[in-house]
Amino acid sequence: MTNNTIKVGLFIPCYVNQLYPQVGIATLELLEKLGVDVYYPQNQTCCGQPLGNSGYEQDSKGICNLFVENFSAYDYIVGPSGSCIYHVKHHFDILEQTPEVKRVRNNAYELCEFIVKILGKTDLGASFPHKVGLHKSCHGLRGLKLGKCSEVQGEHYSTEEDLLKEVKGLELMALNRKDECCGFGGTFAVFEEAISSKMGKDRVQDHLDSDVEVLTGADHSCLMHMEGIVNRNKQPLKVMHIAEILNSSL
Amino acid sequence: MGHAQKATEFNKDEAKVNWHDKALWYVREKRDKSAHNVQGWEYLRQLGSGIKANVLSNLDEYLIQFETNAKNNGIQVHWASNAEEHNTIINSILEKHNAKKVVKSKSMLTEECHLNPFLESKGIEVVDTDLGERIVQLAEEPPSHIVLPAIHKTKEDVDVLFQEHLDTKPSGGNPEYLVGEARKHLRDKFLNADVAITGVNFAVADTGGVVVCTNEGNADMGVHLAKAHIACMGIEKIIPQEKHLGVFLRLLARSATGQPITTYSSHFNKAEEGKEMHIVIVDNGRTEQLSREDFRASLHCIRCGACMNTCPIYRRSGGHSYDYTIPGPIGSILSPGKDLKKHSSLPFASTLCGSCSNVCPVKINIHEQLYKWRQIIVQEEKQPIVKKSILKTAGVVLSKPKLYKMAGKSARFALKHAPRFMIYNKLNAWGKARDLPEVKHESFDEWYKKRRKNE
Amino acid sequence: MSREAILNAVKKNKPEVLPLPEIDVSVFQEDIDVVKTFKDNLALVGGQVFEITTDAIDAKIKEQYPNKSTIVTTTTKSNLGNVEIDKNTDPHTLEHIDLAIVQGELGVSENGAIWITANNSLVRALPFITNDLVIILDKRNICLHMLEAYDNIAKRDRDFGVFISGPSKTADIEQCLVVGAHGAMSLTVLLV
Repeated sequence: MTNNTIKVGLFIPCYVNQLYPQVGIATLELLEKLGVDVYYPQNQTCCGQPLGNSGYEQDSKGICNLFVENFSAYDYIVGPSGSCIYHVKHHFDILEQTPEVKRVRNNAYELCEFIVKILGKTDLGASFPHKVGLHKSCHGLRGLKLGKCSEVQGEHYSTEEDLLKEVKGLELMALNRKDECCGFGGTFAVFEEAISSKMGKDRVQDHLDSDVEVLTGADHSCLMHMEGIVNRNKQPLKVMHIAEILNSSL
Repeated sequence: MGHAQKATEFNKDEAKVNWHDKALWYVREKRDKSAHNVQGWEYLRQLGSGIKANVLSNLDEYLIQFETNAKNNGIQVHWASNAEEHNTIINSILEKHNAKKVVKSKSMLTEECHLNPFLESKGIEVVDTDLGERIVQLAEEPPSHIVLPAIHKTKEDVDVLFQEHLDTKPSGGNPEYLVGEARKHLRDKFLNADVAITGVNFAVADTGGVVVCTNEGNADMGVHLAKAHIACMGIEKIIPQEKHLGVFLRLLARSATGQPITTYSSHFNKAEEGKEMHIVIVDNGRTEQLSREDFRASLHCIRCGACMNTCPIYRRSGGHSYDYTIPGPIGSILSPGKDLKKHSSLPFASTLCGSCSNVCPVKINIHEQLYKWRQIIVQEEKQPIVKKSILKTAGVVLSKPKLYKMAGKSARFALKHAPRFMIYNKLNAWGKARDLPEVKHESFDEWYKKRRKNE
Repeated sequence: MSREAILNAVKKNKPEVLPLPEIDVSVFQEDIDVVKTFKDNLALVGGQVFEITTDAIDAKIKEQYPNKSTIVTTTTKSNLGNVEIDKNTDPHTLEHIDLAIVQGELGVSENGAIWITANNSLVRALPFITNDLVIILDKRNICLHMLEAYDNIAKRDRDFGVFISGPSKTADIEQCLVVGAHGAMSLTVLLV
């Protein structure tokens, strides 16, 4: 299969759609640059994760079924958010496992993983001359195994690092705590406000201490949380989704 | 008061939170280094998990085998269905020996059964001999960690406490001085104790013996000096064969503190001549947990505490915020099985980051169980009305694309145009320490439609 | 009776039987110098270790522990003992023992632990209650890891045995490691 015969259904998570259209745009443009056939099913809403993680899985069946309906026709479903993809792959077990449901679960990919694993590319021709700190979001790292996490024994690998290392001018900064959770956690951010904010604050500080100029990651929900802290405290850190960096040619 | 409120309290002293977080992160880093030094570490965890799964699937047979072998070695075996029975059995053994002074090494089970207050009410002196446990006992607090019971206390706190109870001199929190004084104080207790109580790390079915692990030597000092030894164990402490200790002792200390093994791993198979040994086997809710398919793997736990040390929430909220004998991630999947209502906030005290499952030496899928408890709690316990209505509404709106598009528009409109004070008020937990995202003039949907039109 | 109640509840609630995993020890096989690794690990856990000849044992102990007045020896390899004990000695009388010298059965390279049984110490309390502890170990008896160790001690008369790895210690006060909690304040291992 050549790239332009791969039909990709673009999944733009609800909060990205509403609040971070630039991340959706970068994802779409990037995939098009890579020569894949991208379709955006316009009836899509959400993957159901906010409900599942809050204990309302049973109330999310309608959302999950709609997701399957929207995406079952494509070879791959690609989205710029590890946690949403993780939810589709791991928590759609509440649905009857029809061939469509199975197909959607099997073919859902986080953007970076899709580019590296399926398209087999790491050098995307991007340039971004900045000091970048990578936040490895937990659902991507530990859930989808986009990289090796620090507590597990084995060879180091990281899908996002593979891509960032090829970006011209980009300097990837080493962090003190390589892969600690930022404390977003969906409704956790609101119902455990004190801890959530403290975790976010600590994570941001690690990037600042490591001379990072731009904080990036493959899951914008974590980035939204940390950006909220950066903006509140007027800290000298720009927050961007990895798709925006990979799509840039500064 | 749920976990969130207690965590908020703990977070009022940010310097203390930073200190607590660092102390435990240091242990987690030691654990990584030590574990990753072992060739085949992940296979070792796999074995630990597989052996425990086998144990649970054949537990009744193993318990009988264990009892038979223990009895053949002259050990007296007792069975307790619940905490009351456990406490009563121990009290009757103490009565038989006319025991007034008891030394006890670490046992989360006796903590769970509230043995100390029970025995104290009978006029018996019970001294916890693990240093950390002695510290919290003197402070009249529960342990805040299962391996590091006094991790929430600074050395200055301990200094003040010892001045009050052990008559020590002010030392500005000199650990060597304080440990030296505790050694003297507890030596006296060991030498005068009538009976020693210990926990059990592993109970070996094919030999009928038990293994107790300590760094301080306190279990042995107690047992070898007293007339009788009472070892208390939950039914899940069983392992099939002695050779399996070769798996579990390799996992335990490395996961707990990063040591290659605890200083003392003591194998008790028979009482010393002229003495008695008793084992109390306790259920206290464990068989009920065994019945829950999604949650029974929580009984694999070997009480290493690694999930606490790695948990970013535990590190920043302290063990007492969980208000359960076993705090942290493992406690949050064990406690709802004991009292769903009381502990219903605990499975939500997690971002589901999954690090706990990765460090667990017996591969308990802790974060997946947290997710599953959430589903049950929402069904069975009354939920805050705001949370409930928001999520139920979201379930409806997000399953209907047209409704969603309208809602998205109005939400963005509100965010953009509502005065700042409306968004950043007390009801808005998000806005307390974080700004809301800046609202762009259009959604991705709208941009995409325009783009299609222009193509 | 609670025994039956518990066993019946287990029987009712347990899952279908799952197989007991076979342990493939080849995964843990390492081509390393077990004596060197043993020494490194013993140092890591706070013990000290000397490789010496049998005839140098007492001189080494005297050099390491020059001012000990009450010494118990339970092995014929040392003649420094000046307090006699036997199996029936009341352990409380060992309260002021300064130094105990015992024979170890088996060393474990991966963690510096040494297996000691009630036969080695005569009185179970001895290696714990003594102020300082010396263990004499034949370096040919050092194995790679704990699985091997349990193979080695499988055929024994089981009463009491302990793996000792270093001197007693605690980190219960603010994670500061302090050597010398309730057991021996120091451990010296003599490899012969």
